[in-house]
Amino acid sequence: MKSKLSHTSALTAAIVIGAGAIPASAQDFDWKAHEGDTVTFLANNNPIANAILKYTDDFEAKTGITLKVDSYQEQQMRQRLLTVLNARSDEVDVFMTLPSREGRQFAAAGWYADLTPFTQDSVAPKYQYDDLGKALVDAATFDGTLTGIPLNIEGPVLYYRTDLFQSCDIQPPSSIADIEAAAEALKGCEAASGITPFASRGLKPALPYTFSNFLHNMGGEYMADGKSNLCSVEGKVALESYASLLRDYGPPGVVNYSFYQLTSLYREGRSAMSFQSSNEFPSVMEGGARLKDTAIIPLPAGDGGSHPTAIGWALAVSQFSENPDAAWYFIQWATSPQMQAKLALEGIAPPRASASDDEAYKAWLAEEPLRQEWQKALDDLAKNGTSEVGYPIVQNPESREYIGQAVDDILLGTATVEEACATADEQLNALIERE
Amino acid sequence: MTTASNPRSASGAISPRLQLASLSAPSVIFTVAMIAFPFGYTIWLSLQTFTATGMTRFAGADNYVRMISDEQFWNGLTITFYLYFLSLVLQLVFGTVLALLMFRAKKLPGIVRSLFISPFMMPPVVAGMMWLVILDPSLGAANYILTSFGLPPSNWLASPAFVVPTLALIDTWQWSPYVALIVLGGLQALPPSVYEAAEIDGASGWQVLWRITLPLLLPTLATATILRSVDLLRFFDLIYITTQGGPANASTTLNIYGFRMGFEFFQLGYASSLMVTLSIIVLGAVIVLNRVRNAVAW
Repeated sequence: MKSKLSHTSALTAAIVIGAGAIPASAQDFDWKAHEGDTVTFLANNNPIANAILKYTDDFEAKTGITLKVDSYQEQQMRQRLLTVLNARSDEVDVFMTLPSREGRQFAAAGWYADLTPFTQDSVAPKYQYDDLGKALVDAATFDGTLTGIPLNIEGPVLYYRTDLFQSCDIQPPSSIADIEAAAEALKGCEAASGITPFASRGLKPALPYTFSNFLHNMGGEYMADGKSNLCSVEGKVALESYASLLRDYGPPGVVNYSFYQLTSLYREGRSAMSFQSSNEFPSVMEGGARLKDTAIIPLPAGDGGSHPTAIGWALAVSQFSENPDAAWYFIQWATSPQMQAKLALEGIAPPRASASDDEAYKAWLAEEPLRQEWQKALDDLAKNGTSEVGYPIVQNPESREYIGQAVDDILLGTATVEEACATADEQLNALIERE
Repeated sequence: MTTASNPRSASGAISPRLQLASLSAPSVIFTVAMIAFPFGYTIWLSLQTFTATGMTRFAGADNYVRMISDEQFWNGLTITFYLYFLSLVLQLVFGTVLALLMFRAKKLPGIVRSLFISPFMMPPVVAGMMWLVILDPSLGAANYILTSFGLPPSNWLASPAFVVPTLALIDTWQWSPYVALIVLGGLQALPPSVYEAAEIDGASGWQVLWRITLPLLLPTLATATILRSVDLLRFFDLIYITTQGGPANASTTLNIYGFRMGFEFFQLGYASSLMVTLSIIVLGAVIVLNRVRNAVAW
């Protein structure tokens, strides 16, 4: 089932009203209440964590809490997290989590502390909990348990080269069919010679992030009546469309492509369209070569309309933490409007309406028209997005494996669409059965 | 009663054997515990079934039965051995050639020798990232060089057909110098009298190499084979950095498969049974190769 995200700016009125009504707990709130404590933070070594950790000294000075950071690359972080949580160890107090991926699994295992009581009883005066994007909060809530507080909002968006589109006399795409037509036109266009027409993720475990948007825009759903639905008409169209775009117009070796390769390729001017994460915006624009010849839009609509993928990283407290109160203080500080505004200036899309309205952030956006396009695309994600990446089951990470395999089999020509989706449905139904 | 059966002599002093046992006991106990506990725990895990939510139940041999009918297990096993044999042969050949060159060029400056052996000092993660960039089909230097000479570009790590040979080549680049160092040590230990006799008998350089040097090097090569076999059968880091087992499982070795099952899909019981099986394979290979080494020892 898709969960619609509410438009962040639509919350503005509630914030204005809410700001005046500070809860009773906020009056008694003391940032120094846990002075002398130590909080261990298991971080994903990505731009979000790096941006937060630049201000560690501020946190320690404000609270008197010592922050011990344990930082790994994403896969290694998960490996460590699984080991620690499965052992019910108190080694980690607070950790980064992707609710759209492991949320259901960790929640079902009881590994997340419920943050609801904290948001009611221990809130700093200027925290503005209600300002956080409601749908991202909902996406991190499982069976009434609030498992994490959103750190950012992100999703795949289409970066494309306006100069090449203009030179090759191609109109900006307004549908998935237009993307296919544009890719074909670019392939035969002299001005785009040697440039990959279209690129997106092809690496098996990584591609459900981008493929899900194709599936939803084609009107497809991963599950219907409790069964895998990849072989539905919409599912097959999405598989064919995504795989053939990569096969016929993608870069050589696209089957190993994740964000790193996509960013390098586009930044170097070697791809004309790149469907990849909004988070990569700062990296793609590094050096400024693409700043003036790029446009950014959400994936254009398909036969089933427009349902962009919108997810976000969150901060969670371990159920086994010996010091959840101090851990909550760290979360509150890291997700506060003040910190979110600082992170936004580093290209980390804020999950708070107030950060979008921040004057410094507005000035930053105004410096470059492309930054405004990026924000506009993110607004669309916030308004219309779905957080369904892979199957909405406890074994979501494993479901992504079979989706990725189906796409790669078609892409590599080792299976037809019919064969690939049938195999995937069989494996996925077995996985659903295991639940 | 003898001294051996009586820990204390008539004067009351502790016997040397007991002294030795008591002094080495802590390290022996520690070493055994460090090996036995993780292995024993992995075997115990392999007899459990884990649900996605961390619950366990005793599964007996279910995980091992599942393995037999699991297509991915057999695929992983095939790829493990394919990668193993290909890499091992390449590394032994290149390592020996490199050692012979270094042995002959005795006046080679130290810096050049250091450069020869530098790849294996590089962390595999760094080597993996470096080769990932070099072999990128669109932006990498490898295809640029190929096309500059009019040769067709390759998909390298992105081609199901080429991924294993490419991984074997990267590993060969990194570990041949290590084999060369072992072989160089062996070459330096060969008795000069044999070569003097060969020279008197008028043997050609080629004959000396084939009839004397290589046969005498067999024990050294067997040692290098054992050391590399243990690593190659457990091949992981380079694959994980470069392909994560792809494209389409074409480089999913047993080790990668086990890791993904355990840490990505949280099937710790099944992952443990895969790892127990791999450990038995590694242990079996070491036992067989050790016997070979003893057989060729001189």
